[in-house]
Amino acid sequence: MTDASMVRDRTAIAGIGTTEYVRNIGRSELETALDAIGLALDDAGLTAREVDGIFKIDTPGEESNSELEIARNLGVANLRAWGGAGYGGGAACAPVVLATMAVATGMASVAVAVRARNRGSGGRPWARTGARVPGLAAFEIPYGLVSPVQQLAILARRYMHEFGATSEDFARVSVVQRAHAGRNPRACFRDPITVDDVLNSRMIADPLHLLDCSLETDGACAVIVTSAERARDLRRPPVYISGIAQGMGPRHYMMNGLGYREDPFDMPPLYAARDVYAAAGMGPQDIDVALLYDVFSPMVLWQLEAYGFCRRGEAAGFVRDGRIAWPGGDLPVNTHGGSISEAYVHGFNHVLEGVRQLRGESTCQVEGADVALVAAAAVVPTSALILRR
Amino acid sequence: MTQQAMTSQRPMPEITPMTEPFWSAARRRELVVQRCDGCGTLRFPPEVACYACGSRRAAWTPVSGRATLYSWTAAPPPLLPYFADRAPWPVALVQLAEGPRMFTNLAGIAVEEYAIGMELQAGFEDIDGETTLVVFRRA
Ligand SMILES: [Zn+2]
Repeated sequence: MTDASMVRDRTAIAGIGTTEYVRNIGRSELETALDAIGLALDDAGLTAREVDGIFKIDTPGEESNSELEIARNLGVANLRAWGGAGYGGGAACAPVVLATMAVATGMASVAVAVRARNRGSGGRPWARTGARVPGLAAFEIPYGLVSPVQQLAILARRYMHEFGATSEDFARVSVVQRAHAGRNPRACFRDPITVDDVLNSRMIADPLHLLDCSLETDGACAVIVTSAERARDLRRPPVYISGIAQGMGPRHYMMNGLGYREDPFDMPPLYAARDVYAAAGMGPQDIDVALLYDVFSPMVLWQLEAYGFCRRGEAAGFVRDGRIAWPGGDLPVNTHGGSISEAYVHGFNHVLEGVRQLRGESTCQVEGADVALVAAAAVVPTSALILRR
Repeated sequence: MTQQAMTSQRPMPEITPMTEPFWSAARRRELVVQRCDGCGTLRFPPEVACYACGSRRAAWTPVSGRATLYSWTAAPPPLLPYFADRAPWPVALVQLAEGPRMFTNLAGIAVEEYAIGMELQAGFEDIDGETTLVVFRRA
C-alpha cells in the first residue's frame, strides 16, 4: 500500500487531451500520441519543453511508440523519468499511477501519461498467431481458445452459473452506457439501444453478443500530471490524485489464468480496491461517479463487486435497479459511454472522463461530483485511481 | 492489415523442456500434471516452482482423467482460419477430479448438450505425427 502522506492529493491532473475517436484515423500512433499530448499541454497551459516525464501502456505487439520517440518529437529538453506499464487494459490507469509516483518523488515535475492505439485499423493482435504456440498459450490456442472475447465468455458463463446473472443483466450495462454516449459528441456510437437489441445482436462468443463488446477504435488520449501546488497556478482547476494502486493478487496468468485458479472471481481489482481506498482514505461510499473498464459488459459487474459498491454476486441486481444510470442512479458508471460506446482506447479515455466529471464538464454531469473512481481491467493485472476536485 | 493468420493449419503447441513430459504422456494416452515434491500440490499448467511452497522440485504424476465441465464458450468467426472453417468452435474449461483445471475440447458431444457439471473422461486425439491433444468425452 502507498504511504498516503507521500501521494494523497500531492499531485494533480492539470490537463487532458484526446484525438477524435474513429475506425480509421489515417495517421500513425506516434502522430496521434503527439496530437493528444499537445492538446493536454494546451489545456494545462504548459509547453512541451517543460515535459520531463513520459509514461505509457506497453503491450507487446501493439503501440510501437517509445518514450524517446515521443520525447524527441515533442522537443523535450531532458526526460528525467519514463516507463511503460504492461498487461493491456489492466494498465488503463497505470501510466497515471507511474506519473504520480514520479512527480510525488520529485523525479519529474511535468509528467505526460499517454495511450495511442490504432486498434480500429490495426487488426486483431491474436490473428498473428504462428504455427507453433509458445508458453502458456500452448495449452490454450491449439484448442481454439485464441481471442479475449472467448476467454471472457468462459468466465462470464461461469459467473452466470454461480450467481444467477443472465444475458439480460450483461445487456443492461451496454444499454445504460449507450444512453450516456447519446449525449457525448465524441462517442462513436450514440443511437439508443434496448436489451433486446443487445440480445438480438450477433453472437461473438456465447454468451456474449456484439453489443456486449467494446468498439475497435483508433485514437489517443493524454493527461498531464504535475504537483498539486503547481497545478493550482495553471489554466484549469486541478483534479487531485487522491489514491493510486496496482493489484495482481496471487498466482496470476492473465485472463485465461483465472480459470486455472481455485476461485476465478478472486480477481485483481479486489486487491487494487483495498489499496486505492486506503491510499485515498476513502471507501466506496465516497465515490460519486465510477469509470469502470468495460471491454466486455460482464466486467463492469465484476468491478462493481470488487470495488465494494455491492456484495459478491449482487451486481446484476445493482444494475437492474438502475443504480449505474445517469441521471437518477446513485453511482453513475461510464458517463461518457465507455469502451462499449465512446471509444476503446484501452480504458485510458475513462481517466479523461473522470477529470471532466470533477471539472463539471461531462455531457452526463453528476451533480456535485467530488470524487471519481477510475478502474482498469478486472481480469488481468490491474490499476486504479481515485480522483477528487 | 490482414486479419488472417499465417497458416490455415491448426496451431500446435511448441514443445519445450518444461512441457515435453505432458505432451509425451498424452502421446501414450496418459494424462499427467505436476505434483510438488515439497507439499504435494498438484498443478497445471506447469511451473518452475510451486506457488504454494516455493519448491522447485516436482514430478509429473498421472491423474484419473475424470473431470467435470466447469465452463465453456462457442464462437463463430472471426477466429484463426482452422477454427473458423469449423465454426462455431466450442472451447471447454474442465475441472479434473484431482483439482486442477484445463482448457480443452469436448469430443462426441454436441454444443447443445453442454452442461456445467457434466461428467467427463479424458481422451486423446492424435493431430499429426508428433502431437496429441487431450480432449474430454462423456464419462
Ligand atoms: Zn509445493
